[in-house]
Amino acid sequence: MTHKGTATFIAQRASAVALLFLVIWFLWGLSAHAGAGHEEMRLWLSAPTGWAPMGLLIAVGAFHMRIGLNEIIDDYIDSGMRGVFKLLNLFAAVGAAAIGLGSLYLIAA
Amino acid sequence: MASDRASSNRPLSPHLQIWRWTPTMAASISHRATGAALYAGTILLSIWVFALAQGESVYAPIAGFIGSPVGVLILFGYVWALLFHTLNGLRHLYWDMGRGFDIENARRSAWLVFLASLVLAIVIVASGVSAR
Repeated sequence: MTHKGTATFIAQRASAVALLFLVIWFLWGLSAHAGAGHEEMRLWLSAPTGWAPMGLLIAVGAFHMRIGLNEIIDDYIDSGMRGVFKLLNLFAAVGAAAIGLGSLYLIAA
Repeated sequence: MASDRASSNRPLSPHLQIWRWTPTMAASISHRATGAALYAGTILLSIWVFALAQGESVYAPIAGFIGSPVGVLILFGYVWALLFHTLNGLRHLYWDMGRGFDIENARRSAWLVFLASLVLAIVIVASGVSAR
């Protein structure tokens, strides 16, 4: 994170504020749909009030978790392997977001 | 690059086991641990949405696993991690505004975050289980 410390610091906190609201929505959604079957779950996430916050939760969550894991990598991984771990971190975060968002698109379409 | 570090004398972060136990240190470590766990949780959430999109035949076994005792345990861990990381994140944001950083307040808010996240997680998961 050389020369990008301040921007990363702000990005992590801005995404945290967004996630605060998205997590509240998500926990509400989990309780409201606990035990629901396939059809009811699909119906929930096919409406804009379902797929929009869920998509944001997955996208902003992936953004936030990548910064967080990069910080852990900076703390505990010696410089030689750092780049490799950070690249794997990027792939995992983008991969999780792509699978989640792509699937939401299929559900909503 | 290890020799660079040695010559510049820059330390790595001290690891878990060298700290004396305090509520504030436990909250700090738990924030990192729940953050790492939520990384896995987000991947699982994406896989769940993927299964939901694939149709009943793919979704049913996953829904069945979530409903099993092991599944409920994982779900409880995920919900608690979400709550702890979110509430402790609020604590961090409050500190970032320059407030509540004295030892007494930090200790009290650490206990509060542990207690509130645990109680809320139990309430949410228990109500979900009883709703089925």
